[in-house]
Amino acid sequence: MRLRDELDQTAVVFHPLEEQYRNLEEQHEAGALGMWVFLATEVMFFGALFLGLGAYHILYGPAFEKASEKLNWVIGGLNTIVLLVSSLFMVLAVHYAKLGNRKHLTLFLALTALLGGAFLVLKGFEYYTDYRDNLIPGWRFDDQEWTKKEGLKEGEPPLAPEDVPHVKLFLIFYWVMTALHGVHVTVGIIAVLVLLVLARRGTFTPAYYSPVDVTALYWHFVDIVWIFLLPMLYLLGTHTLADLHIL
Amino acid sequence: MTEKHTPSVTTYVVVCALLIVFTVLTVTVSFFDLPGIWHVIIGLCIGAVKGALVVLFFMHALVSSRVTWIVISVACSWLLLLLVLGMTDYFTRGLIPLMTGH
Repeated sequence: MRLRDELDQTAVVFHPLEEQYRNLEEQHEAGALGMWVFLATEVMFFGALFLGLGAYHILYGPAFEKASEKLNWVIGGLNTIVLLVSSLFMVLAVHYAKLGNRKHLTLFLALTALLGGAFLVLKGFEYYTDYRDNLIPGWRFDDQEWTKKEGLKEGEPPLAPEDVPHVKLFLIFYWVMTALHGVHVTVGIIAVLVLLVLARRGTFTPAYYSPVDVTALYWHFVDIVWIFLLPMLYLLGTHTLADLHIL
Repeated sequence: MTEKHTPSVTTYVVVCALLIVFTVLTVTVSFFDLPGIWHVIIGLCIGAVKGALVVLFFMHALVSSRVTWIVISVACSWLLLLLVLGMTDYFTRGLIPLMTGH
């Protein structure tokens, strides 16, 4: 009997093959396809928000760009790198699950969850700086701050009072989109932690690692959303080193 | 999932390094004095390359079955429809001046 067949049979003992599938591979393929279909709906969910943000940016360019310059692009950029590296760890977890290397699988799952947590901590700190800098429409926001002539860059015109509601509109997009993304990251971390517990129990084998692969698809998608949030929220205007307001 | 050859650890690390380089490039471009809309266009173009790298290598689309590619193509087509028709609606409303209420 080939090793692959032996592994399949061992896996089937622990992970029953559902009756509608011919083998575990087909079952795995169907699971992954289900996640891809779910992600297609997520594309439309975030797509509508990106459409709104893009359309209003074209309509109210100066206000959106001025508001974007106030966001903490240093933390935004740093968080992009954190998520990209977490995606690398996640794909390595899949790689080692496929090889049946339990030690490396648990290590990379733990590192993925850790970096997901680091992303949320950085995001929380960024939200605090937004609170401190009066960037929360309806709660902490000062209309006068946006129209004053002092502290402008050379040649930069002050914002007209009628543009202030557009600044608020941009900030609402910022809060809604980053919060929804944060919820997705939180769900991803919980899923990865569940996988970590299962991996430590030895649930996954080279023949059965479908949950790791399917969760990884979700995690990478969340990463892709952030890849587009960075230029669409944080990098609209022309930045200078004077905007380096990390703390 | 598939019997096809999947990328090696080195490939994954190289792709991640490329993604980080592209992120630094995106932030660097925002320091150039360009009209605001160009920052977004360049940022989105670099973002599209980064997204493609993640889908192809990290999500294993490169070695996935044809049915997965159908789902990816349909998702991209729907998104394109949403963006193109949505933008067309927003930016052609003023072209019909005699319609009251618009």
